[in-house]
Amino acid sequence: MSTALLTIVLLVAMFALLGSGLWVAFALLGVGMLGMGVATQAPLGQVLATTSWGASNSWALAALPLFIWMGEILFRSRLSEDLFAGLSPWMNRLPGKLLHVNILGCGIFAAVSGSSAATAATIGKMSMPELLRRGYDRRLAIGTLAGSGTLGLLIPPSIILIVYGVATEESIARLFIAGIVPGIMLVVLFMGYVVVWALLSPGKQPRDEGVVRWGERIRGLKRLAPVVLLITGVIASIYLGIASPTDAAAVGVLLALVLSWFSGTLSKANLVDSLMGATRTSCMIAFILAGAAFLTVAMGFTGIPRHLAEWIVTLQLSPTMLIVALTFFFVLLGCFLDGISVVVLTTSVILPMVEAAGIDRIWFGIYIVIVVEMAQITPPVGFNLFVLQGMTGDNILTVARAALPFFFVLVIAVVLIMIFPQLATWLPTKMSS
Amino acid sequence: MRTALDRLYAASGALGAAFIVAICLIVLAQVGCNAIDAVIQLFGGEAIGLVIPSYAEFAGFFLAAASFLALAYTLRAGAHIRVLLVLQRLPAGVQRAAELWCVSAALSVSAYFTWYAWKLVAESFAYNDMSPGIVPVALWIPQAAMALGLSVLAIALLDELLSLLRGRPARYAQSEAASGGHGE
Repeated sequence: MSTALLTIVLLVAMFALLGSGLWVAFALLGVGMLGMGVATQAPLGQVLATTSWGASNSWALAALPLFIWMGEILFRSRLSEDLFAGLSPWMNRLPGKLLHVNILGCGIFAAVSGSSAATAATIGKMSMPELLRRGYDRRLAIGTLAGSGTLGLLIPPSIILIVYGVATEESIARLFIAGIVPGIMLVVLFMGYVVVWALLSPGKQPRDEGVVRWGERIRGLKRLAPVVLLITGVIASIYLGIASPTDAAAVGVLLALVLSWFSGTLSKANLVDSLMGATRTSCMIAFILAGAAFLTVAMGFTGIPRHLAEWIVTLQLSPTMLIVALTFFFVLLGCFLDGISVVVLTTSVILPMVEAAGIDRIWFGIYIVIVVEMAQITPPVGFNLFVLQGMTGDNILTVARAALPFFFVLVIAVVLIMIFPQLATWLPTKMSS
Repeated sequence: MRTALDRLYAASGALGAAFIVAICLIVLAQVGCNAIDAVIQLFGGEAIGLVIPSYAEFAGFFLAAASFLALAYTLRAGAHIRVLLVLQRLPAGVQRAAELWCVSAALSVSAYFTWYAWKLVAESFAYNDMSPGIVPVALWIPQAAMALGLSVLAIALLDELLSLLRGRPARYAQSEAASGGHGE
């Protein structure tokens, strides 16, 4: 069978298996088996067992269950109340006022959780009723939550960057550090949009609620301090080279337990629930990664990624053209696949092509995360949209329309990191190794 | 039989969770050692270089055990991701057929995978393969956790297939509905 024909057959098989409702990990394994079985005489079962074993027993990947557990513990603490009460007194002077609490709250919670749907859900359950009660614009309240919920994917420690790092054998520490500047940039862009919107539509602003005293602000700061210190501690120890991501994650779990103990929310039930939640999520992701590792090896046997890479070189596309084309492809793919699946499919097949075009792997990791963020708020499958649909009772199209401006802000972010790749690549070069 | 199987999945999941706790503990122990060294150096002493031998390797083995042992439990909880977009729009009859297909396909793949995972264990045992670290571990031991977890997954999928064939709804689908689809 020619490589071109095989590529088409496998592509169709992949979409058929995924579309039929087969679990993603099994679909990856199935396509890998099909490709390898058709194209080579190599011992399929043996390769399957050894690559899955190799991909699953990994020190770097051990950070995954720990960071997820840390998020699960904090998710069950009083964090969302603390974030809302702590941030609110600081935002009343900024045009858009408490809408910024959504954005900054998501930014902070994103750092501890790494899951965008959980971020939107946690911040939203506290802020949504408050914002609506005080007469904020419903559409923007929903939009800010949907948009900034996606920050969870980029701001370190990010689960999806661990997945990308493990799948591409790239340093997770460097990827985390690379995500900092683009993450902050996105927060600023989101807030900037809200400020501009508030200045342009004065009629839609809530009534004035009087002055906020400094004492109130300081008390707010006290409620924010523990979690902000936890996050900066984790990120700084990785940046300074004191700790690997896995070390930082274990300490993060310990500190999250301590915080939750002091806030009085550490019950036995919460502890068990958080651990079992982390076990399920990390098992689901690890199984997909095992499937992806096998698919990568199987694709190597078929020669498809190499041929794709050579084909791209003959096309003489500029890296910019390639990225623009890939962005459309990923947003389309993200319309019905979750972010982790998009990332592992990419690394199995497309990465050699990207490297052949001379694109930096760390930069590409940050880029693909932002594009996956866009996919989280596009219908029909956008996990943040589902969360907000459940929370507000509005239908998915209304929610998607509310999120649309933030989709375009993400597009601007992609354009910015294309024009200034240093936004992602500069900080990792400053790390002590 | 029903209770025995449910207990098997729950026990396997609990064992997986225990390995996540084990990762956390072994890494914390090493971080603690580093901290003691740092304090000693701070007071002008010489670092004693405290290390938990092969702790990174152990963390990796624990992770593999945690991931594979929890497979069946995660399946039952409806937490393995899949695309439900098409499935949910199908008429009930077709939907049942599709579920049958999903479970049979997954069962075939995992049975095949399980067989070769045990073969890997047997090979490592026969050739007496050791891990390369400071503390050599016979590789068949951690690999057996992988094979065991896959076996439990295959049993759980067979269990689902039989109950689908008897006309009952899939258990994982009930959990999926309860949690509103996906977690991520």
